[in-house]
Amino acid sequence: MAQDSEVLDDEEQKQLQAALQRVGACLKQDSSSRAISVYGWEITAFKRPILNMITRDRWEHMLGTSHLPEMVFGDNSLELVHKDSGLRIHFNAFDALRSWKEEGLPPVEVSAAAQWKMRSKPSKEIVLDYDYTFTTSYSGSEAFISSSNTQADSSKFQWLETDEEIDLISLKARDPILFYDEVVLYEDELADNGVSLLTVKVRVMPSCWFLLLRFWLRVDGVLMRLRDTRMYSSFQQDGFDYPKVLRERCIKEGNVQDLLAMGTSPDMLADRDGSLMYGKLNLSRKQTEKLVLIRN
Amino acid sequence: MSDLDRQIEQLRRCEPLKESEVKALCLKAMEILVEESNVQRVDAPVTICGDIHGQFYDMKELFKVGGECPQTNYLFLGDFVDRGYYSVETFLLLLALKVRYPDRITLIRGNHESRQITQVYGFYDECLRKYGSVNVWRYCTDIFDYLSLSALIENRIFNVHGGLSPNINTLDEIRTIDRKQEVPHEGAMCDLLWSDPEAIDGWGLSPRGAGYLFGGSIVTQFNHTNKIELICRAHQLVMEGYKWMFNNQIVTVWSAPNYCYRCGNVAAILELDEHLTKRFRVFEAAPQEARGFPSKKPAPDYFL
Ligand SMILES: [Mn+2]
Repeated sequence: MAQDSEVLDDEEQKQLQAALQRVGACLKQDSSSRAISVYGWEITAFKRPILNMITRDRWEHMLGTSHLPEMVFGDNSLELVHKDSGLRIHFNAFDALRSWKEEGLPPVEVSAAAQWKMRSKPSKEIVLDYDYTFTTSYSGSEAFISSSNTQADSSKFQWLETDEEIDLISLKARDPILFYDEVVLYEDELADNGVSLLTVKVRVMPSCWFLLLRFWLRVDGVLMRLRDTRMYSSFQQDGFDYPKVLRERCIKEGNVQDLLAMGTSPDMLADRDGSLMYGKLNLSRKQTEKLVLIRN
Repeated sequence: MSDLDRQIEQLRRCEPLKESEVKALCLKAMEILVEESNVQRVDAPVTICGDIHGQFYDMKELFKVGGECPQTNYLFLGDFVDRGYYSVETFLLLLALKVRYPDRITLIRGNHESRQITQVYGFYDECLRKYGSVNVWRYCTDIFDYLSLSALIENRIFNVHGGLSPNINTLDEIRTIDRKQEVPHEGAMCDLLWSDPEAIDGWGLSPRGAGYLFGGSIVTQFNHTNKIELICRAHQLVMEGYKWMFNNQIVTVWSAPNYCYRCGNVAAILELDEHLTKRFRVFEAAPQEARGFPSKKPAPDYFL
């Protein structure tokens, strides 16, 4: 059994090497990162342990909060750098938590809260009211890294709404995956009342790269919330001085009682990452944008 | 070699027991646990351990660092099951050690030792997968109802999974709780297993609308009233394995290294000698090759 799968792995490895060679790509790896260089892009996934107490304290101070997710993978990130144009797109927990703090949603009550309301209270009680779900509208960070020493260059990238759409049909093609990774940015178990999870996945094919940043929230028995950001860039570019990148954002949400009433199987309600519930939740907003360089 | 010794050997190799053996083991354990107090007395020297969460091979590391039971006395603060891949073997090994050496190991209840929570966070599914039926889950969750709620070392160190409750001022008030039930959604028993210390003044209610938080003044008052010097609790992940709060009046001990196989945290246990001198032993997760599951490198996936 084990031997068979090793043989298969070897075979897969050979196919991958051949596919990499065809497009002139190369892979790099060290103890905490994995990367691919392909068509002028350098795509790197960094994975390291959760933040220690000292760094957490510093982040709390910088963000102006005394609460952070239980697991903050503050040294993890996904980075996509296009060297010739100076475009750098990256995903990190700090920026995501900054948007959580800015949005500042009111807290959601867990299912046991109803019973707690009947409970006799201590004479003095502080009710905390931060958004413990760590819901964020973060959809990535981008920067213009000036390639020459023109420090006065204040050009920057911006997202503008577009009618174009990410070609999901072509993404369904089973082209070989040259590079794949999944990076967790933060996670919280909501004190065993569900899960709040922010992750980004990337796959690089011979013709394009595609990524999905997903915020997934499950408050058991109460609420499911999904905020997705997809980005896509084709390697077949038509003569621009910077690559065309499309970004699609969507928000979906559902009340668990409504979902059950609609016949959603209770098994799906324990969804760890939103993959089961994605098709079941109502879309409340969707928007596609493309990246443009604003020259000053 | 007795059946029990053989079963302990088998469990130490991470091999689960037969369903009939689990049933018999649970019956024996019940007879021992039913006699224990809600505030179980424990003598020093003893080594205190926090959450394990089914990380069997990491618990083996814990015993390597702290010494095997019964050569070392142990107090486990609950959350034996859920999240990790080996909740069955982890809990059964601890339970078998309890039956074999009742005075050498104390197990108290965590919030995961509950029917409701184990159905969401893994133990139920693991039992179903390993035994093809939920009988083992039933035997184990029935035993959970008998686990003590707290422990008191030499009348000086109070140990509990979560923390304090506004409904509890004295240890005697804990002693009067009827614990032989599923963990309730609210009330004193729930708070002991669920609450957290927090840098606030007095009592706080979580923004979730359920769950108490307690500040330094509450701990000072409790320790003074009950003539204890320290509260030792678990329940919250700490990257460094342990964390002091409120001028060393309370400490969190966390014993699941590389929690969920991806956090990269270290774990700790707290050794107390016969004079209650404290020594933390910090340890890391078992090496990859020591555990029986594939590496964590994600499989490529045509996500959309
Ligand atoms: Mn716990």
